[in-house]
Amino acid sequence: MINIQKNLGKVLNLVFALTFFIIGLLIDIIGKNFETQPIYKDIFKILTFLFFYFYIKINWKRESVPLRRLIAILIMGVILITITLALSILSINFEFQEKSNNLIPVNFLTILISNFVTLIIGVSSLILLFAIKDIFYYKQKKHTARNFLILNLLLLATVISSINIDPLDSRLITNILFGLFIFSSFVFSFKMPWIVYLTKKDKVLTILFTFLVMISFSVLSLLYQNSTQIGKLILYSSPGIYNFTKEIFAFLIIYSAIAFLSTIFHLPTADAFDKKMSEISSLHNMSKLITQVLDFDELVSTVTKTTLEVCEAESSWLEINKTFLKSNNKYRNLEYDTNFYVISHLNISTQEIALINESLKTHLRDRIILDKKPIIIQDFKLERNQSLDKGVNNKVSSLIAVPLIARNEIFGVLYATKDIEYGFDQEDLDIASAFADQAAVAIENSKLIEKSIERERLVREMSLAQGMQQKLLPQRIPEIKSIEIEAFFSPAFEVGGDYYDFLMIDENNLAIVIGDVSGKGISAAFYMSEMKGIFQSLCKIFPSPKDFLVKANEVISGSIDKKSFISLVYATLNLETGKLRVARAGHCPIIHASENETKYVRPNGIGLGMGNSKLFKKFVDEIEIQISKNDVLVFYTDGIIEAHSKNGEEYGYTRLLETVRQNWQKSAIEIRDEIISSVNNHTNEEPPFDDITLIILKWFGK
Amino acid sequence: MNEFKIKIREQSNVQIVDLKGYLDAHTAPEFEQTMQKLINEKKYNILVNCKNLSYISSAGLGVFMAYIEEIRKYKGDIKLANMPPKIYNVFDILGFPLIYEIYNNEEEALNKFLKKS
Repeated sequence: MINIQKNLGKVLNLVFALTFFIIGLLIDIIGKNFETQPIYKDIFKILTFLFFYFYIKINWKRESVPLRRLIAILIMGVILITITLALSILSINFEFQEKSNNLIPVNFLTILISNFVTLIIGVSSLILLFAIKDIFYYKQKKHTARNFLILNLLLLATVISSINIDPLDSRLITNILFGLFIFSSFVFSFKMPWIVYLTKKDKVLTILFTFLVMISFSVLSLLYQNSTQIGKLILYSSPGIYNFTKEIFAFLIIYSAIAFLSTIFHLPTADAFDKKMSEISSLHNMSKLITQVLDFDELVSTVTKTTLEVCEAESSWLEINKTFLKSNNKYRNLEYDTNFYVISHLNISTQEIALINESLKTHLRDRIILDKKPIIIQDFKLERNQSLDKGVNNKVSSLIAVPLIARNEIFGVLYATKDIEYGFDQEDLDIASAFADQAAVAIENSKLIEKSIERERLVREMSLAQGMQQKLLPQRIPEIKSIEIEAFFSPAFEVGGDYYDFLMIDENNLAIVIGDVSGKGISAAFYMSEMKGIFQSLCKIFPSPKDFLVKANEVISGSIDKKSFISLVYATLNLETGKLRVARAGHCPIIHASENETKYVRPNGIGLGMGNSKLFKKFVDEIEIQISKNDVLVFYTDGIIEAHSKNGEEYGYTRLLETVRQNWQKSAIEIRDEIISSVNNHTNEEPPFDDITLIILKWFGK
Repeated sequence: MNEFKIKIREQSNVQIVDLKGYLDAHTAPEFEQTMQKLINEKKYNILVNCKNLSYISSAGLGVFMAYIEEIRKYKGDIKLANMPPKIYNVFDILGFPLIYEIYNNEEEALNKFLKKS
C-alpha cells in the first residue's frame, strides 16, 4: 500500500512537472511577441521545477562517501559544459532581441531551445543541490540541518523574489538575497569535517577533484552570464530559475575552492593522521581480541601481525617465558635450554632471530629485563659486535623491543625491525608498548581461562574416578562365623588409588587383597578395575599368594605404563587351621598382633609392574605363619603411614604398631576406631593427602 | 611447602642429580624432563643424590622406573645415594633396593660406576 502510494507520488510529481513544463512552453509560444511577460508564466515555470524537486527528492539515494559525490558533481559539470559548448558550436539559429529590459525571441526555435536548456540546467542544478546536501550532511551535527535549511530558504527566496521581473532587470531584494546566499555559503563551507578523515591518498584525489569542480563550474558560470546568448536562453525562460542556477554554481565554486585549500593545508599532516587512525583502530581490534579470542596461538600471531602493520615494520616476533607457557598443554614438552621461546614470528626465521642476538654484546632480552624499559636501536650496525658478527642479513637496520609485563614480571618481549636506519620514532615505540600491554593482558587472560578449563576437567575426572573407585570396593563385608572383619576407607581428592577386596576361595580359605595404584584419576581407576578382575578370577586358580602375585604381575605389566605400578599385599587365611600365607608386592607390611608380640610381617617383594616375570619371581617371597585364637591381623595403605601433622611429621610405622599393640585385645571394630582416632589425633584435622584404607581381621579359631 | 629443585653436576663422566624438596605428582614432570634430557644427551651413568629430598610420592618413584630399562640397555645405570631414613623406607617398602643400587654416600656410588668402566 505504501509502495503504491510512493510510486503514485513519483509518477504524479513527474506528470505535474512535465505538464507545467509544456504549459510554460505554450505560454512562451503564445506570448512570443509580447513586450511584457504575464505573471502566471513565471509561476508555471517555477512550479515545473518545484515538482521536479519533489520528484528528485523521492528518488534520491543518499551517498555517505563525500569523495564519491564530489566525483559525481564533477561529471555533471563536465556534461553540462559539453552540452553548452555543443549548443554554441552547432551554430543553431537562435537569438533574442532586447526591448527595454525584455527579451524577444526571433523565432520559435529559440523558444524551444530556451525551454529545453532551462529544463536541463534547472534539473541538473536541483540534482546538484541534493549532491551538495549529501556532502554537507557528512558527520552531521546539530547545526548541519539548520545551516542547510538556511541555504535552501535563501535559494527559494531568491527564486520567489524574481517573479514577474523583466529578464534583464534586477531587483534590490533579489540582489540582497543573492549576496546573503554567497555569504552563507562562505560561512558554512568552512565546516568540512570529511576532509580530516580522508586517507592521504584520498586527500590527494580530493585536491584534484575540488580543483576540477572549481574550474568547471567557473566555466559554466561564465558561459551562462546574462550578457551571453546562452545565458539569455535561461533568463528568457525564467529569471528565477536563472538565479537559482547561478546560486548553485556559485556555491559549488566557493565550496570546492575552500575544500581545495583546506585539503592542501591538511596534506602535510595526512601521514601522521593516517597512522594515528590505524593505531586507534588496531588498538581497538586488540582490545576486542582480548575478550573474544580463546585460542592462544591465534592471539600471539595477531599480536605480531598488528605490530608489523602499524609500525610498518619489516619483521616482528614475540618471545614468551617458558615457565609461563608450561601450563599450556601444547608447550609442555619444550626443551629447557633458554628461558624464552619465540612463539610467533613474521618475516623472520628463528635462526635469524638467534643470529641477531648473538651478534650483540648483550642479549636484547637481558637488557629489557634489567631495565624494564623498551629498547630502541636506531642503527643496528653500530650496536653489532664485529667480532661476533656471523653475517646477520642486512634486513635488520633498526629495531625496537618492548616488554610484556604481568604482575610486575616480564614474561615476554615483542620485537619489530626495519631495513632502514632510524626507521622507528618515539611514536612507534609508544604504540608498540601499548600493543605489548594489551597483548600481555590478553595472553594472561587466555592462560587463566585455559587453566580454569583444565582445572574443571580435572575436577570432573576426579569425581568420576572417585565414583568408580567406590563401586570397585566391596559393598559388603563377608560375614563369617569364625572371624571378625572390619574395613575403613576414606578417599582423598588429590591422590588415591586404594583398593581392597575379600573372597572365599573355597569352604575354608579366605583371600584378602589390599593395594595402592600409583597415579590418580581415571587411569588409577582403570588399573584398579583391572586389579579387581584379576583378583576375582585368579585367586581361585592360584591358591598360593606368590603364584597369584606372579601371575597378576604378568597381566598388569602388559597394560600398565612404565611410570606406574601397583603395590599389593595378598594373603590367604585358612579359617579352620589359622594358617596364614602372605606375599607382598611392594606394599606396606601387615601387622600381626598376638599374645606374644605385635610385629610387622614383611616378606620380600617388589611392586606389580616394576619388573618382568623372572625378576618378579626372584624377588617375591611367600611367608607362612600360624596365627592363634583371638590374634589380630591389620592390613592398611600408606595413607595411614604418611598422614602428617601440621608441622609435617608423619604418623609412621612406629605409632601404628604401638596403637595396635595397645588395642589388639579389643574387638575388630574397636581396634579400627582406635587406630583411626589415633591417626586423627596426630593429624589434628589436617586434610588427608592420600586415601586411607584399613582392614582389621580378628580370628576366633574354630 | 618445600619447593622442588633439581641440580646436575658432572664428575668423572657420571651425572650427579641433586634432588631437593617435594617430589610428587606436581613436580615429577620436571624430574622426568631432566632424565629425558640426560638420555637424549646419551649420558647413561646417573647418580641421584637424595640428601635433600624431603618427600617422594609414587609419581616420583615412577620416574625412576620409567627410564631404568632404557638406561641399562645402554649399559648405564641409575644409582641412588644419601637417602634420609624416611625416604629410604618408601623406596624399601616398594622393593627398590632389589632393583636399584642404593648407597649411603655419593663416593661409594661413584666408585661403583668407576669400577665398572
